[in-house]
Amino acid sequence: MNGTKYVIQKELDRVFKDKKLVFSLFLLPAVLMIGIYLLMGKLINIMVTDVQEHVPTIYVQNMPDGFNSYVEQLNFPGSVIYFYGENVLTRTDEGEKIISTEEIKENIRSGRIDLLVVFEEDFLNQVENYEEGSIIPEIRTYYNPAEDYSEEARNKFMELVINKYKTYLLAKRIGDLNQIMVFDVDRDPAASYVMDETRANAKTLSMMLPYLVIMLLFTGPMNLGIDAITGEKERGTLASMLITPMQRGQLVLGKLLALSILSCLSAVVYSVSIIVGLPDVQKVSAVGNGTVRIEPVQMVWLFIVMVVLVYLYVTIVGLIAVLSKSSKEAGSYISPVYIIVILSGIMTMFAGDFTVDIGMFGIPVYGSAIAIQKITTNELTLAQFGVNVISTVCISAILTIFIIKAFNSEKVMFNV
Amino acid sequence: MIEIENFTKVYKLSKKQRLELKTRNHIRKAVDGVSLLIPKGEIFGLLGPNGAGKTTTLRCISTLLKPTQGSIRVCGHDTIKHPEKVRKKIGFLTNEIRMDPDFSAKYMFEFFGHLHGLNDEVIGERRKKLFSYFEIEEFQNKKIEQLSTGMKQKISIAVSLVHDPEVIIFDEPTNGLDIVTARSVTNYLQLLKEEGKLVLISTHIMSEAERLCDRVAIIVNGKKVIDGSLEYIMDTTGTRNLEDAFFNLYLQYTERGKV
Ligand SMILES: Nc1ncnc2c1ncn2[C@@H]1O[C@H](COP(=O)(O)OP(=O)(O)O)[C@@H](O)[C@H]1O
Ligand SMILES: [Mg+2]
Repeated sequence: MNGTKYVIQKELDRVFKDKKLVFSLFLLPAVLMIGIYLLMGKLINIMVTDVQEHVPTIYVQNMPDGFNSYVEQLNFPGSVIYFYGENVLTRTDEGEKIISTEEIKENIRSGRIDLLVVFEEDFLNQVENYEEGSIIPEIRTYYNPAEDYSEEARNKFMELVINKYKTYLLAKRIGDLNQIMVFDVDRDPAASYVMDETRANAKTLSMMLPYLVIMLLFTGPMNLGIDAITGEKERGTLASMLITPMQRGQLVLGKLLALSILSCLSAVVYSVSIIVGLPDVQKVSAVGNGTVRIEPVQMVWLFIVMVVLVYLYVTIVGLIAVLSKSSKEAGSYISPVYIIVILSGIMTMFAGDFTVDIGMFGIPVYGSAIAIQKITTNELTLAQFGVNVISTVCISAILTIFIIKAFNSEKVMFNV
Repeated sequence: MIEIENFTKVYKLSKKQRLELKTRNHIRKAVDGVSLLIPKGEIFGLLGPNGAGKTTTLRCISTLLKPTQGSIRVCGHDTIKHPEKVRKKIGFLTNEIRMDPDFSAKYMFEFFGHLHGLNDEVIGERRKKLFSYFEIEEFQNKKIEQLSTGMKQKISIAVSLVHDPEVIIFDEPTNGLDIVTARSVTNYLQLLKEEGKLVLISTHIMSEAERLCDRVAIIVNGKKVIDGSLEYIMDTTGTRNLEDAFFNLYLQYTERGKV
């Protein structure tokens, strides 16, 4: 086993004695990741505030008597233009102009006007003279759901003006509104949130986390494994170790363990930068500040599941790397594997809450993904954990044996 | 002692190799039925033109490749049955095996010392001896990639000798070296011989072999044409130097091939 120790030491030295390599392997990705997320966060923020702060332009056709003063009293944030008939006088950049309702709709389509509200003619009369069984009057809105401004304008206008106006008219007709309300629902809406904070946050976390873990753990082996094995084979430096008395198995184990250690480190770097960088994820995955409480046992399981998964990844990459004749060839075989890995992660995001057959936990990669998902909601059972870890370990062991076989094959090692 | 018995190595040719070599054969016999006995305390030269099968033979002796037929024993250990024991005994140098360019000469020397199971004290002594002989000391902490070809070759030689092997197998050791460096390498081989080691080198430079070797084997197209002491070979061919002897034999062999 001594050989293994020295091989691991050398692989780690290769990385850590080289400042440039440490920078490009660990620091740069972290900085880039945080940078990208911060930028994304900023842009989304700008967009959201922009939509919220936009002063909508709203046209109201055939407004009922007193509607304008009602709106004014509500302090609705927007410029509301009232008109009767088919045409309206507007002020544009080019001066005053008469436009028709058709032209207003055209402007909504192109995003220049946000909303058109049309009251049925004689609206108030129809409301006041309502008799049981007669038809009730209608308000029509025209807006553009493809435009954020327009959609927001309609939502606000409905919520802040039309719904209130409806209640106001109703009160005028009936007097005591309670007669028709029968009961209230939630006078204090905030008081009715009885959700379990852990579960609610964990829901978001459990959606994202398996995907991120499954994907990011693979990047380390992918970036390092090809060079450490195929690269060394190409450069002839691997052969220098093959003529020492060290057994091939020790050499293979040393390489694979060193790759696993480096991959775990780069996984930590990636995870930290995600937590720091992505504000939303930060909120839900700040394990320490009590929003998500993954129980200690499940934490330990999470760690084991991840470590075992890293070793599986390393053996997958290792086998591909050793069988490839050149780094380029290895790269082209790794890409489809990476896609499968990402898909396994994505599948958990859409899998929903359905109960999972225990056998599923034995599927390589995907099994680990759903195990991590269950851990985030503290729902992984010992049996599921066991099936996943044992299956992953067995598959990695088989792959390791294949890699050792490949190292012993002159055909693979020397392309003869 | 190295005992080679009826050793044959056959390569399978890939489609690409068949195109490159312009052949329809799916296999190539790189070495064909060679038997040799190489005693210790001598420098033995494996001579032959390019493609004769020298490197293939040395790789099989060093356990990197397996003989297709026949057997090879090094210090009594079979290369197929006990490759680790063979590797303990040999120091092998060939230009397809390189030192990791990301590390310094000192690091590589210590790394391989450890892989050979030596302790730090022994490694330190060996390093002092070899690095001062090959004048590596000044550059021992520089990354190997920053050094000249000659220096790299000298480092490879030093590292291959870290464990003070009984059997030294060098494939074209002076290839690409300037005459000064080449001379320091061949002088060191002579030192090793005086220490009683077995030194086996391959070369296509006949003058070098004549100056250096006690005994040689000439192979052409994978077949052994002759082997023995230098005098024996010159006597048999009626020539006065190895180069003439070689051409004599080479012509004979190829004439025979034509018939
Ligand atoms: N990996 C290989 N695959 C197929 N043929 C090879 C391979 N290596 C060498 N050969 C062939 O074997 C023969 C002997 O090669 P080699 O031992 O390298 O000769 P030398 O070292 O004497 O120049 C040559 O004809 C060469 O083309
Ligand atoms: Mg050669």
